[in-house]
Amino acid sequence: MRWAVPEAEFMDPGTLGCQGCGGALSMRMVLKEVGDDAAAVLPACCWSIIDGPWPLHSLNIPVLHTAFETAAVVATGIKAAKRHQGKDTTVIAWAGDGGTFDIGLQALSGAAERNEDILYVCYDNEAYMNTGIQRSSATPVGTWTTTTPDERPEPRPKKDIMAIMAAHRIPYAATATSAYPDDLARKVRTAVAARGGMRFLHVLSACPPGWKMPADQAIEAMRRAVLSKVFPLYELRNGRDLTITVWPDREVAIEEYFELQGRFAPLEHEPQTVEQIRSDVAERWQALVDRHERTMALAGA
Amino acid sequence: MRERLLLTGNHAAAYGAMLSRAEVISAYPITPQTMIVELLSELTASGRLDAEFITVESEHSAMAACVGASAAGARAYTATSGQGLALMHEMLHWAVGARLPIVLTNVSRAMAPGWSIWSDQSDILSQRDVGWMMVFAETVQEAQDFVLWMYRVSEQVYLPGMVGMDAFILSHTAEPLIVHDQEAADAYLPPFEPIYDLDPAEPRAYGGLVNRDHYFELRYKIYESMERAGSLLREAGEEFGEVLGRRYTPLEGYLLDDAEYVVVSAGAMTSNVRQAVRDLRDRGVKVGLLRVIAFRPFPITEVRSLLGGRRKVAVLDRNMSPGHSGIFAEEVRSALFGQPDAPPVYGYVVGIGGRDVRVETVVDVVDDLTVREEPEMALYVGVKGLPIGPLRRDSQITRLQPLEVQP
Amino acid sequence: MSLEHVDDYPEIPVSLASTRTMLKTGAWRSVRPVLTERTAPCTTGCPAGLGVPAYLDDITAGRLDRAFLSLTARNPFPRITGRVCPHLCEDGCNLPIRTGDAAVSIRSIERWLGDQTADVAHPQPNPPTGKHVAVVGSGPAGLSAAYYLRRSGHEVTVYERRAEAGGVLRYGIPDYRLPAPIVASEVARLRNMGIDIRTGVALGADVTLADLEATHAAVFIATGAWQERPLEIDGAELLESGLAFLESVNQGEARVPGPHCAVIGAGNTAMDVARVLRRLGADVTVLYRRTAAEMPAIREEYEEALGDGVTFEWLTNPTAIDKNPAGLTVTVETMRLGEPDESGRRRPIPTGETRDVRFDGVFAATGETADLSPFPPFMQTRAGNLDVRPDGATRDPLVFVGGDLATGPATVIDAIVAGRRAARAIDHQLGFDARWPMDELSEPVAAAETNPTYITRRARTDSPPVATVDPFDEETRTLTTGEVLGEIERCMSCGHCNACRTCFVFCPDGAITWDEGPVIDHEFCKGCGICVVECPGHAMILINEREVSHA
Repeated sequence: MRWAVPEAEFMDPGTLGCQGCGGALSMRMVLKEVGDDAAAVLPACCWSIIDGPWPLHSLNIPVLHTAFETAAVVATGIKAAKRHQGKDTTVIAWAGDGGTFDIGLQALSGAAERNEDILYVCYDNEAYMNTGIQRSSATPVGTWTTTTPDERPEPRPKKDIMAIMAAHRIPYAATATSAYPDDLARKVRTAVAARGGMRFLHVLSACPPGWKMPADQAIEAMRRAVLSKVFPLYELRNGRDLTITVWPDREVAIEEYFELQGRFAPLEHEPQTVEQIRSDVAERWQALVDRHERTMALAGA
Repeated sequence: MRERLLLTGNHAAAYGAMLSRAEVISAYPITPQTMIVELLSELTASGRLDAEFITVESEHSAMAACVGASAAGARAYTATSGQGLALMHEMLHWAVGARLPIVLTNVSRAMAPGWSIWSDQSDILSQRDVGWMMVFAETVQEAQDFVLWMYRVSEQVYLPGMVGMDAFILSHTAEPLIVHDQEAADAYLPPFEPIYDLDPAEPRAYGGLVNRDHYFELRYKIYESMERAGSLLREAGEEFGEVLGRRYTPLEGYLLDDAEYVVVSAGAMTSNVRQAVRDLRDRGVKVGLLRVIAFRPFPITEVRSLLGGRRKVAVLDRNMSPGHSGIFAEEVRSALFGQPDAPPVYGYVVGIGGRDVRVETVVDVVDDLTVREEPEMALYVGVKGLPIGPLRRDSQITRLQPLEVQP
Repeated sequence: MSLEHVDDYPEIPVSLASTRTMLKTGAWRSVRPVLTERTAPCTTGCPAGLGVPAYLDDITAGRLDRAFLSLTARNPFPRITGRVCPHLCEDGCNLPIRTGDAAVSIRSIERWLGDQTADVAHPQPNPPTGKHVAVVGSGPAGLSAAYYLRRSGHEVTVYERRAEAGGVLRYGIPDYRLPAPIVASEVARLRNMGIDIRTGVALGADVTLADLEATHAAVFIATGAWQERPLEIDGAELLESGLAFLESVNQGEARVPGPHCAVIGAGNTAMDVARVLRRLGADVTVLYRRTAAEMPAIREEYEEALGDGVTFEWLTNPTAIDKNPAGLTVTVETMRLGEPDESGRRRPIPTGETRDVRFDGVFAATGETADLSPFPPFMQTRAGNLDVRPDGATRDPLVFVGGDLATGPATVIDAIVAGRRAARAIDHQLGFDARWPMDELSEPVAAAETNPTYITRRARTDSPPVATVDPFDEETRTLTTGEVLGEIERCMSCGHCNACRTCFVFCPDGAITWDEGPVIDHEFCKGCGICVVECPGHAMILINEREVSHA
């Protein structure tokens, strides 16, 4: 394997990310492809901290910190100004799952519906990690968090944010993860090239403290999420044409994904939930495969 | 080209944004502000105003879009009212902390529930402490001009500015006004040249994590800038007169010279106060008017010099801070406190939820003022069944009677 | 920057410097990753201890000269071993253990490298030492010893009894596996180093050990094992020697006794004999008293024989041979397997059931022994073997031995290693620094430590069979460069950084920079360990920070 990942760095070392931070890695990988003609918006999220305490800053692009629920619309405002100034700068909204699935959903929906010319990246670590691991609507069923304790783990499945984005018919949306850097890089390149409209990347990003696992298992956990089809990698054009971009090259049971992470410990006592997840995962995968094939058939026709 | 038109306050505000050459406008409808963004939509669509027009999905986002645009170096404008302003609250703080010279027109309306679209300044005064400059327009002309005045100062101190105008009484009332010549407006308000604009060549972070070692100093800068805004407002108001023919000041006095009694007022109801003062003068009452135009920064020194030595002061508040008095009354009292010649200050709460503040209402207030011996924090004017007086202390919460049903 | 006074502050909370300037997150670390060079299991599997991942890396990077040099430091003949080695290296490969995929076809890559570098001259020898060393026998052990002794700076003369040099390489292994011109060119390359190779000189007949000792500082003898072990059955004199047959074939004098032939034994020589007979048009049956599980032949050679159409009769023990008017009648007894013997293989036990089978010719290939007649009795043990130390030293301090002569029939690579070891021992004996590598290797990288995720998962590509006009033309071809590079992509590069950049790609802190290889910035590395876990070959290890500060 020879990586296509560029050598240029747009994230300086010395960030305040925890050891093995998937969010930091996602940023590093995404910026490598976006390049330096970019500006980013950071709403409240881990990256509010990771970027460094004032007067320090780790990224080699300008960053505007903003309120929790405003990533998409602040990016919209920046883009409007840049457009008015005749500049082609790529404007990135970089939000966590809380800032995307929950509190930021309204502004995100607004920007998506208006087809704003921004690149929205949700780095999803599946809970409010910065505040100390509280459930979000991105938290998967059966998960422990401090607000879904072992006695009452997360009762509901993860919100399907990609379906929501698809419903907005935005030009480009994709799932990605830093465990598949070349796939991630290609999607970022595609998204940057699709300027002119709304682009959404849903990037699964491991959180070793929040997922309750050793820091060195971060990549493996994300990889298993993909291989077990819990987090399939695909892209979606105009909310309609779906293509699967990474086909798991080996069978990985959902249990192999769960067992790496202490947050899934409640599932040990909930075999029915595990079976339910298994069938949900299989069903969703089949639906993706069907849509993929339909896309291929249409493209061939 | 300078022209005289007949416009509503709302349309005048939109003209103010156009003359200011706003570059990014975010819009969300709310009665009674909606006409402002409707007209701006037309002006941008027709090309009369070269600006990005963003139809956001909430007022919170309206201000957030302005935050983004302003941070990127654009002149940003939006307008709202009542609930919308309340929803913006978080981002109003953000604009201040990020030091963004955004200008906002707020058409003041009463807060729900119950739903009310009528005039009441409680909405804007609830934002007293966020750190925005605030000026209150009385006329359609001011609704237009104050937008330019605010930008002029905002862009010098890097603090946002808010223009308050009263629902319907000003927003929907047509008056003649002078629409300034664009070149003259440009001379008054040059293009915004920000000290920062999210330029990729200058990869800095704005507004990130600040620990206890630094936060105070950064806030201190804001306080200093707001302090400096006081004199800049005066200078810019003078300049407005020189360049555009109308001089504006933080305070405006009327028949104050020999006045023993002074009525303090802000906003559109001031016009009726002015008439009442004239009527009372005809009756021989030595009364004058002090109109508060700039609420933030509050012109403390001028308030002291203009009110010092008077016999009594009545402050009209079309707002209420439950548990205290009307907000203007609090501000005036605190400005005067400890001054050797400080007059007693009587607070009068009037016109809540759009109840008319008529000339007679003001006359009743002054009549009460002249005879009332002890000053009261807040006296309520026009509550059904009650004379002008303080809140009762013995009222009870009563349970509902069964619903009346048709026989 | 100074922030002692409020006037030092900017108007807005805008950053003034990079985290790089003052946020040294390396202080968070309790363990640190370090790049190491560890031993790969293919390297420990190789009798020569070849550092396989390193030369594979050199190939990918286009550094063929360096690959050739690092390889020849342990084995001078990649062109030869790349064709005939039993590739124990591949048996150790972590890939099958970790993934179930087939091992990397190291031998095919080695063959490609050997062919690519066929015209590369061997390094200049060291300055002359003034010592003259005799090497007797020009098989793989003799040529290997000659090569290393020459590089050490000694004058070297090789004595070979046959007409051409190469020993088993030339006269034992059939051309379809190892073409004679390749052996000849390797011999020529050695001559170009200044090695004097004299053919037609037989130890004992033309020159004695005493003669050699008198004229040389040391003598290395590697005359091989060329005597057929006698089979003690009735009619044994009717048997033909498998070895002699191969030798005659390699001299172009093959003679097939008839259309139906048998080969007794199931070692590598037996396979060669059977396959050569098939190529000469005979039906061939291998008679073996045990089963496929116990046979000594390398699996691969057995499979090739099967592929050639050789028939195998297991649990079949010839007990007598007799002439019949049309040819030979072999009486065979059916065996069964009993308990394991001292070799660990299950012992064949007679069942008493016999039958007769007819053949035109029967070849014995049940093992070869060495001719010890040139050695004086004092050099031999009471059991009649040479007394040899692992480095080839004998009871005569001037005489060293190696190869099949010392060990009995073994592999080409074993012989090459024996030659190298003896060269080292001779250097030492002659008072020079031993410069040829020792064989002690550290514990290899375990399969569980590796991460096969990022290697290219594709089917193994081995030197493929080719259709030939002449049945003795080489039966497989060398891989193409593209095939070799593709095959190398399957290698996890255990214990060796092959600059795959996986650590660089996955560092969440951007604390790894790249300067041909990874450079870990310990000022910022937080010690998360991702680089160590993700490194395909586990060439990174974590060490405790306290051990670093105490070191």
